[in-house]
Amino acid sequence: MSEHVLNSIGLFVPEIILVASLCIIIVADLLLKKRTHAGGWILLASLVLCFFAFSAQSGINTSAFFAMIAVDPFSVFFKVILVISGIFIVLFSMQNKELIPYKNRIGEYYMLIAGMMLGMFLMVSSTNLLMMYLAFEMTSICSYVLVGFTKKSIRSAESSIKYIIYGSVSSGIMIYGMSLIYGMSGSLNIFEIGAALSGLESAPIFSMAVLMITAGIGFKIALVPFHFWAPDVYEGAPMAITALLAVTSKIAAVAMLIRLFRVSFTGVDATGMMAIIPEGIRWDMMLAVMAAAAMILGNLAALWQDNIKRMLAYSSIAHAGYIIMGVVVLTDQGISAVMLYAFMYLFMNLGTFYMAMLYANKFSTESIEGYKGIGYRAPFTAVALTIFLVSLTGLPPTAGFIAKLYIFGAAINAGWIWLVLVAGVMTIVSLFYYIRVARNMFLYKPEGETEPVRFDNFTTAIVLLLLTPVLVLGVYFTPVLEFIKHSLVMFGVQ
Amino acid sequence: MLSDFGSILLFMIAGVLFVAIALFVSKLVRPHRPNADKLSTYECGEEPIGDARIQFNNRFYIIGLMFLIFEVEILLLFPWAMVFQDLGWYAFSAMFVFVFLIFIGFIYELGKGHLKWDLPSPAVPEYVEGVGVVERDIRTEDDEFESDGGLTFK
Amino acid sequence: MVGLEWYLGVSAILFVIGVLGVLISKNAIVVFMCVELMLSAVNITLVAFSSFMGDVHGMILVFFVLCVAAAEACVGLAIVIAIFRNNITADISKINLLRW
Repeated sequence: MSEHVLNSIGLFVPEIILVASLCIIIVADLLLKKRTHAGGWILLASLVLCFFAFSAQSGINTSAFFAMIAVDPFSVFFKVILVISGIFIVLFSMQNKELIPYKNRIGEYYMLIAGMMLGMFLMVSSTNLLMMYLAFEMTSICSYVLVGFTKKSIRSAESSIKYIIYGSVSSGIMIYGMSLIYGMSGSLNIFEIGAALSGLESAPIFSMAVLMITAGIGFKIALVPFHFWAPDVYEGAPMAITALLAVTSKIAAVAMLIRLFRVSFTGVDATGMMAIIPEGIRWDMMLAVMAAAAMILGNLAALWQDNIKRMLAYSSIAHAGYIIMGVVVLTDQGISAVMLYAFMYLFMNLGTFYMAMLYANKFSTESIEGYKGIGYRAPFTAVALTIFLVSLTGLPPTAGFIAKLYIFGAAINAGWIWLVLVAGVMTIVSLFYYIRVARNMFLYKPEGETEPVRFDNFTTAIVLLLLTPVLVLGVYFTPVLEFIKHSLVMFGVQ
Repeated sequence: MLSDFGSILLFMIAGVLFVAIALFVSKLVRPHRPNADKLSTYECGEEPIGDARIQFNNRFYIIGLMFLIFEVEILLLFPWAMVFQDLGWYAFSAMFVFVFLIFIGFIYELGKGHLKWDLPSPAVPEYVEGVGVVERDIRTEDDEFESDGGLTFK
Repeated sequence: MVGLEWYLGVSAILFVIGVLGVLISKNAIVVFMCVELMLSAVNITLVAFSSFMGDVHGMILVFFVLCVAAAEACVGLAIVIAIFRNNITADISKINLLRW
C-alpha cells in the first residue's frame, strides 16, 4: 500500500504544487503589508511550474490514489488547456480595474483562483463519483465567492447570490442522481458502474438519474435549460472571472461529462460497436436536444443584447451547444473534435473577454453602443477584437472555422444531420451580432474625444499571445491534431 | 407478532401516555393559586422587554460560519480516529495535511482580524460650523473592509 | 424489517420538499435551508443503499456531502450578508437588477 501511495503522490505533483502555492499566497498575503499583486505572481509561477509538470506526465496512463483519479493523456490534455487559460486569467486580473478598490483583499482573490484551478484539475481526472462531486463543488464554491468578490457593487453581489442559489440546487440534483446510480450499480467507481450497468435492463429511474447528473454538469457548461444563471452572473462578475467561468470551468465540466458518459454509460454491443448502456436509454438524443436548444436560444437571445458581457454570455451558451454536439457523438472522432474545439475556444474567447476588459478599463463602457469609433482611436486592439469575433463566428481563415468544421464533420459522420443543420443556420445568425460590434467600432466616427488611445507593452504582448494562435491555428493546425491524437487515450477505455 | 412499525407505534403511544398521565396526576395534586408574578415568563429573572423574534446582529452569523468549519473538521476527524492505527503513517500524514490546511485558514482569519468582536460604532452627534448638529459615523471606510463588525441592523 | 423502498420514499419526499421550497421561498436564508434539506435527502438515499448493499462507500460519500453542504451554507450566508449590506434585504424577489 505504501508503494501505491508513493507512486500516487509522484503522479500528483502538479496538484501538490498548486496546493503549496495556495498556502504560500495566504501566508504572503498576511506578511506583505504592501497589498500588491504578489499573490498573482506566485500563482502565475506555480501555474507555469504545473505546465512543465504536466509536460513530464505525457504518455502516462494509469490511475492513482486507489482508483480515485486517473492520470492519462486525456486528462493531461485538458489540464494543459486549463493551465494555459489559468495563466491568462491571472494576467487579466492584474489589469482588471474593477478589482482596484479591493486591493486590501487581493490575496484572497488569487487564493480562490488557485483553489478553483485545483478543483478543475481534479474534475478532468477523477474516476470516482465521490471525487467528481468533491472536485465539482470545490470549483463551484470558489467561483461563487469570486463572482461576488467586488461585493460593494450591487450587481456583483446580486449575481453572486443568483449563482450560488442556482449552483447549489443543481449540484444537489446532481448528487441525488449520483446516489441513484450508486444504488443501481452498487459502486462509486465509474468503471465498476459501467460494468454493472451493461447487464441491466433499462428503467425509468435510470433515465431520471442520468438526466439529474446532466443537470448538474450542464449547469457548469451553461447548457440550455440549465443556463438561466449565465447572463446575470457573467454581467455582474468582475471581467476576469467572467472569462474564467466562460472558458475554464466550462471546458473542465465538458471533460468531466465526456469521461463519465464514455466510461459509465457507453459499452460495447454484440457486434463490437459502441453502444449506449443500459439499452433503451437515449441520452445521446437528450444531449442533442439540449445542444440544439442551446444553439438556438443562445444565438437568438444574443441578437438584442447591448452589454458586451451579456452578449458574450449568450454566445458562450451557444458555444456550449456546439461543444456538446461532439459529446453527443462520443466516438473517438467526436471526442477529438471536442478537444480541438476546446483548444481553439480557449484562445478566441479569452481574447474577446480581454478586449472587453481593456475597453471597460479605458473607455469605461461595457455597452456595445459605447464602442462607436473605437476603431479609429485604438486600431490595433479593434482589429484584434474583430479577428476574435470572426473566429467565434467560425469563418475562415481563423481557428474557429477549423474547430466548427471538425465538430460538424464528426456529427455528420455519426448521422446527426438535423443537428448540423440547426448548428449551421445558427452560425449564420451569430454572424449578425458579432459583426455588430465590429460595425460599431469601424463604421462610426468617434463621438467626443477623438485622440488615439495607447496601450502599454504588457497589454500588447498579451493581445499578441492570444491573437497568434487564433490566426496560425486557422491555417496550420497539424501539431494540435497530432497532440489530440495522442491524447485520446482514456484510462480504462479501449 | 408485531412488525417493526408496530413496535414503533407502541413506543409512540407509550410515550404520549407517559407524559399525559404525569401531567394529569400533577394537575390533581397541585394547589392552584395564580398571581401576576408567577405567570410571567421568567418568574425569578429579568422583566422581558419587547418581542423575542428580533433580527439578529449579523456578527452572530459570521461567528456561526467560523464555527461551522471547525465542526465539520471534527466530523472528518472522528472516522479517522477510529481507523488510523490500522492504516498507519498514510492516514496519519493525510490527516496532518488536512489539519495543516485548516490551520493556515485559521491563521489567516486571525491575522485579518475577522475573529475580533468589535463593538458597534455609534453615530456621534457633532457641531459643524454653519450646518448645525450632524451625526457622523465614526467608522472609516477602511474599517468596514477589515472587520465584519461595525454595521448593526435594527 | 423496514424495506429499502420506504427509505427511498422518505428521501424522495424530502428532496421534492426541498426543491419546492427553493422554488417558492422568497427569503434567501430559507432557500439555503431548503438546499440543505435536498442534501439531507441525498444522504438518506446514500445511507439506505449503502446499508442494504453492505458497501461502505456510500457512507463515506455521506461525510463529504455533509462537508460540502456546510461549505456551501457558509459561502451562501456570507453572500447573503454582503447583499444585506448593499440592499438591506434578504428577500430574493427584490434582487432584480440584472434581467434579460
